[in-house]
Amino acid sequence: MRGLVALTLATIASGVIGILAGATWFAPATFLAAITQHHGDAAIILWQLRLPRVILVAVTGACLGIGGALLQGLLRNPLVDPYLIGTSAGAACAIAIGVVAGVAAPALPAIGFVAGLATALLVAVLARRGSGIDANRLIVAGVSVSALLSAIITVVLLHVNDIDASQQILGWLAGSPAGRGWPELRAAVPYAVIGAIVAMLMSRPLDALRLGDQRARALGVEVGAVEWLILGATALLAAAAVSLCGMLGFVGLIVPHIARRAVGSQAVTLIPACALLGATLTILADALGRTIVAPSEVPLGVILAFFGVPAFLYLLTKKERASR
Amino acid sequence: MIEVARLNLSIGDRTLVGDINVTIERGEFVALLGPNGVGKTTFLRSLCGLHSIPSGHVRIDGAELTALSALQRARRIAYLATDDLFDDALTVRDIVASGRYAHRSWWRWDESPQDTDAIANALEAVRMSDFALRRFLTLSSGERQRIWIAMALAQEAPVLLLDEPTGHLDVRVAHAILGLLRERARAGATILCAIHDLNEAAAFADRMLLFGCEQMLACEPPDALFASRHLEAAYGISMHPLALPDGSLRVFPTQDA
Repeated sequence: MRGLVALTLATIASGVIGILAGATWFAPATFLAAITQHHGDAAIILWQLRLPRVILVAVTGACLGIGGALLQGLLRNPLVDPYLIGTSAGAACAIAIGVVAGVAAPALPAIGFVAGLATALLVAVLARRGSGIDANRLIVAGVSVSALLSAIITVVLLHVNDIDASQQILGWLAGSPAGRGWPELRAAVPYAVIGAIVAMLMSRPLDALRLGDQRARALGVEVGAVEWLILGATALLAAAAVSLCGMLGFVGLIVPHIARRAVGSQAVTLIPACALLGATLTILADALGRTIVAPSEVPLGVILAFFGVPAFLYLLTKKERASR
Repeated sequence: MIEVARLNLSIGDRTLVGDINVTIERGEFVALLGPNGVGKTTFLRSLCGLHSIPSGHVRIDGAELTALSALQRARRIAYLATDDLFDDALTVRDIVASGRYAHRSWWRWDESPQDTDAIANALEAVRMSDFALRRFLTLSSGERQRIWIAMALAQEAPVLLLDEPTGHLDVRVAHAILGLLRERARAGATILCAIHDLNEAAAFADRMLLFGCEQMLACEPPDALFASRHLEAAYGISMHPLALPDGSLRVFPTQDA
């Protein structure tokens, strides 16, 4: 419980930093004054740029954090990421084709959402066994389908002559919230909320599944139904995330690991902890990406990889030493 | 109470054991014996709904097994599988607490006072209360087996099915585990336990259920089984019974000349 309180405070603090930081820094006083206004430069930056952006990356991080915890729990494999089930590759492929076909930019997130969800469903159907899902087959099917879709994306990129179009596609591939705001948030948040609620409801079955499939069944878990619900929630969360920030890797992999150390591995606390930690991480990384080479921007995915990967590897080796 | 009538066990289209008819009473500790691959694990799995029953009937305390939901089943039968556990974060208490799954609505996250009591009592019954906060994977094989039994006790199911709980244990620890099971049977549980060691089974079980040659050969008290030829038929080697000072029998395989 103390861990969750600390994480909540960290999320709020990072949110404040995310709002203050950027190409122009807000003084806290200006920021406070702007809250109550709806006109003036400061108010416009706050309400139309910073606030939606911070919320958007926070929702993305929370979705990926929860999705990672769900899929790692379902597959009993700590090395999986919620995009493993093909969501991001499906979304990116559809978006790439959409860009080439001349679809207007505001319609792309919805296309990504639907394609991501459809790909996850395809992968799940390929992996079904009896009334449930075969964990190994899910991983193999997810990796294979993703590889095929990535090849299609490469073909599309090789044949795009228009620089703007290829930049737009690369922006989605790099994992960045640039150019998206309230409308995309309004579209994605309901699915994110449904995914999060299902995740919380599945927390006791998830804990039982950690003992293994057979034991969970013997304890009274309807394993087949539970697997589909968990996978469905993961797919919704991942599709919502990809519609907001594109192919943002890594968050879904590392957040559950760090959260487990902070609050333990009972799903009922782990899931909210993953949401909070995912949000904190993405808000801070995005704030850094917006300021480090201001006025231009480093994509969120790049910042997370540059700073997150070494930090995560450090944590892993430290754990190794501690357990020896 | 477990009632099995005309049960056929098969995997795919291969019949393992045909026409099993047996009743195991409340308070009885029955050892399940037979050569490797004969169908002991499949039988245990069939009795708790993990393996489908193509023909025949299984009744648990009067209720048809196939008519029970997963939760109803889990409140009647606890099954201790042999498979390993790899999750290194789980504590002893986490595992015992998961035995309570069927006793609480799946959307209730907080432990009820009954849950807390059941977990504490289960740990007490296997004499592992001091280990509650230890990581499971730091325990020895014998201690782990006690924890699985505690999980089954926390489940508060009257029927307990165990698949070789003494598999890798030294004789002292194995006897402690089997003694614990007999204690539970005397307290009213119905226990069916696959065991490989014939004499270990004889020392603790009330009756011995023997599979062999694709059929159920016998379900008799140890002395009666050891005096019969069923063991030789099941295992295909000669067996020599010997009487202990108290008159009970043990058997030893003999080298065929």
